[in-house]
Amino acid sequence: MRSLYSTRRTWLHGVPAWTKLVALSLAGTVLMLTAEVRGIAIAAAAVLALFASLGPAGWRQWRMLRGLLIASGLIAGFHWAMGNPAIGLVSALRIMAAAMLALMLTITTRFDDLLTVLETILSPLRRLGLPVGRIALAIGLTLRFAENFYAQWQRLDDAHRARTGRSGGLRLLAPLAIRALQTAERVADALAARLGG
Amino acid sequence: MTTTATMTSTRSLSYIALFAAVIAVFGLIPKIDLPFGVPITLQSLGIMLVGCLLGPKRAFYTVGLFLVAVALGLPLLSGGRGGVAVFAAPSAGFLLGWLLGAVVCGVSMRQFMKRMPGAKGKGLLIAAFLSSLVGGIVVMYFFGILGLMLAAHLSATQATLAMLAFVPGDLVKCAVCAVLVQSVARGMPSWRLDRD
Repeated sequence: MRSLYSTRRTWLHGVPAWTKLVALSLAGTVLMLTAEVRGIAIAAAAVLALFASLGPAGWRQWRMLRGLLIASGLIAGFHWAMGNPAIGLVSALRIMAAAMLALMLTITTRFDDLLTVLETILSPLRRLGLPVGRIALAIGLTLRFAENFYAQWQRLDDAHRARTGRSGGLRLLAPLAIRALQTAERVADALAARLGG
Repeated sequence: MTTTATMTSTRSLSYIALFAAVIAVFGLIPKIDLPFGVPITLQSLGIMLVGCLLGPKRAFYTVGLFLVAVALGLPLLSGGRGGVAVFAAPSAGFLLGWLLGAVVCGVSMRQFMKRMPGAKGKGLLIAAFLSSLVGGIVVMYFFGILGLMLAAHLSATQATLAMLAFVPGDLVKCAVCAVLVQSVARGMPSWRLDRD
């Protein structure tokens, strides 16, 4: 599983994760409060220029924005058809600008740095009993399980194909669910033995 | 096989991570097109399963963990999407709907199972189907529609109409979820469905 982080360094890579997050939330608030076409258009143009300044590292993740571009187009088209092109334009530009800013954060900030920030923000919740310190372990486990689970799915599918000549489809879900739960039980035992409890 | 009757936090961690992985893998499985042309992805089936099988508390942790992993930049949503940007999209309401839908689904399932402990037949199927319906359709659509209204400036009626196309596919998912919950109850008798 590859993170969306880009190893090709840009000027934004050097900025601390905290600074980027604060800037992102401030910019997001400004975007939400701006309601007139000219303001949003200027903001969107500025965001586009910032995004372009990342160079190829940004454009490589273009596919992340493709779906949003289509959705924004639909929204703008819909409001145009309803006789309210201004509202459509504002919504579409706002969505695209916010998404591009967020994508810039994702491309230029390492997973571990974001995780550290998150753990710090969530640490007050420790008192409510939220296992904040285990987030990293849980995400690691999740990725490992996902790999294992996908491999099991393909093995079951191959077996089904060998017997019937067709792909198993939804029929495989039940055996897959049970196998996955059994794997999880074994891992739970191992974890309980090592971490206690 | 060890019993899963007692669920301490370290043991839970394994199940939470597993089900977060299930939601992720359901995003990798190619879309299935129903005969009447409605495309469905399996990720919301994962949400229903989490609610029915894990109960409200751990369902909350599971979906929360999944969303945190997505927000940190892992491309776990269907189509390989991820990062904070997905929370700015018009469909972001659904992501919040996943979190609360899974919890509501879990609460509903627990209430059913406390009234009929050990049910394995039709009762279990109906309980799981209704719980998925409430959590995976009613609650999820509520937040999805709210998100559409805010991000796309649609009226409530317009947003609701836009969602209707997905109802048939999601009803099928509720049925699949019910059958899966029943298979798990039969295949793993130690799995407790009435636990919180």
